Amino acid sequence: MVVRVEYDYVNARIKGMKSRLLAPPVFESLILKPDVESIIAELENTSYKEEIERATVQYSGMKCIEVALRNDFTNAFRKILGFMKGGDSEKYINILLSRWDIQNIKTILRGKNIHMTSAEIVECLVPAGQLDNTTLIELIRQPDVKAVIDLLATWGIEYAKPLTRNFKEYSEKRDLSILEYAIDKFYYENALEKSGEDSYDDRIILDMITTEIDVTNIKNVLKMIRDKIGIEEAEPFLIKGGITLDIEKLLSMLRSGTLEGAIKVLDATPYKFLSELPADVFKTEKISVFEKELEKYLIKRGIRRFLGDPLSIAVAVGYVWAKYNEITNIRIIARCKTADITEKEIREELIYV
Amino acid sequence: MEQVNPTRMELIKKNAQIKLAEQGRDLLREKMDALIQEFFHIMESVSKSRDELESVAISAQRSLLTALAVDDSVTLKSASFATRKGLFIDIKGKNIMGVPVPVLEKKRVSKSVLERGYSIIGVSGRIDEAAEKFEMELDLIIELAETETSLKRLGGEIQITRRRVNALEQIMIPELKKQKKYIKNAIDEREREDLFRLKKVKKIIERKKKAAIKQNG
Repeated sequence: MVVRVEYDYVNARIKGMKSRLLAPPVFESLILKPDVESIIAELENTSYKEEIERATVQYSGMKCIEVALRNDFTNAFRKILGFMKGGDSEKYINILLSRWDIQNIKTILRGKNIHMTSAEIVECLVPAGQLDNTTLIELIRQPDVKAVIDLLATWGIEYAKPLTRNFKEYSEKRDLSILEYAIDKFYYENALEKSGEDSYDDRIILDMITTEIDVTNIKNVLKMIRDKIGIEEAEPFLIKGGITLDIEKLLSMLRSGTLEGAIKVLDATPYKFLSELPADVFKTEKISVFEKELEKYLIKRGIRRFLGDPLSIAVAVGYVWAKYNEITNIRIIARCKTADITEKEIREELIYV
Repeated sequence: MEQVNPTRMELIKKNAQIKLAEQGRDLLREKMDALIQEFFHIMESVSKSRDELESVAISAQRSLLTALAVDDSVTLKSASFATRKGLFIDIKGKNIMGVPVPVLEKKRVSKSVLERGYSIIGVSGRIDEAAEKFEMELDLIIELAETETSLKRLGGEIQITRRRVNALEQIMIPELKKQKKYIKNAIDEREREDLFRLKKVKKIIERKKKAAIKQNG
């Protein structure tokens, strides 16, 4: 019962936030704008007003839009985290948002690995997860990769575990991808472990994570097939725990050796839609087209959660995906305006859900 | 005209110089023909590579735009931190008709998804595609750097050789020929003068002889 009361408040707030998401006619009017400046002016009439006004003080053009979108995105998720702080649902939203923590830690490690300046690293952070700006800045202040990992371990942040375990191998080979793979795999393992299967909320989160694992695995298998990477070499990069595709199925995709063959393996799965892509996509081996379809599927599945039980984590999950989708759409429209891409092309090629 | 001594010795010298200049001109012409042949051969591959580079560059820009639009510039920049490495290329040299041209080590910049230095789990295919296209562009630029430098050097050498051939043909050889003609004319003139003088002396001697016979007889 406690949980229900908690969701009453949280979901009322999130539904309020959802009502401020942009409606399709707004996207249509953004697409029809002639340039970036007019998109900025249009966004000033939406819920992005505050962030756009703040960003215009320092930046103009595309940079202004990007910074405003990033800040709005971060604020929205921080707000949700705030609503759920201390409640049972906090762990679920943390699972969803920890992807940005992983991304930020990887950015810091990459920056430290090649001795980038702190300012350059800070510019690339999106503090939408549990690790806030202050924590991330303290990490950036560390002199090298080892010190960053040590600090994470000192603070008891869970991401330190895979990094510490693999640090020896990294320092021997000086290959940062070792640490990146370790932390990426840890993200999924940790999410699966934390989500459980008992409650309705557990199952919603589990469904999202396992679907994401499937999508990520399919993308990676296709990339590795295209680059003719052997099965033995490819196997360590597969993630266990997909909803539909287990490791054996992924290996049979790899064994097929061609994109057509790999997609054929997916015939009896929800990812059959990939086989309906035009033949020239298979011929040109453009993985980004497959990726786009898979992401569309994942985003749609996420947004559909709005239709789930209103007194569950479903509304928050739906909102996170809807917001991500909205921000991506605005960025696509604005970017395309900088390159004079026609409205038809924007609609056809770049707009997501 | 340059001051020349109208002597037989000088005439022999001028003849030898003309022969040498003509020989040099023919040799230079042959060199120029060979260079032009090589120049067009390289130019064909350069123009092909240039067209390819142009289309790869357009496609790379488009992929970059897509990656920037969907994945955000910060994600792209972050991925670029992982792949930032120096590119070392060994340069050797070779000679084409005496023209030193560079030979760049054929090192492939294009990498597979597992070689880029970042984890493929966390990086989108759009970023991979943009990286791949720019690697292809870099490969073509390295290839073009070699051929275009060769082309430039061959072009420069053709120009120098053509100038030399022209200098020999239009200035040096005509000048030598003019000098030869002048010397020859001068020598002929001198010979004619000598003959006339000898005839005159002979006439005087004969006249003197006749006068002496008249006096005695």
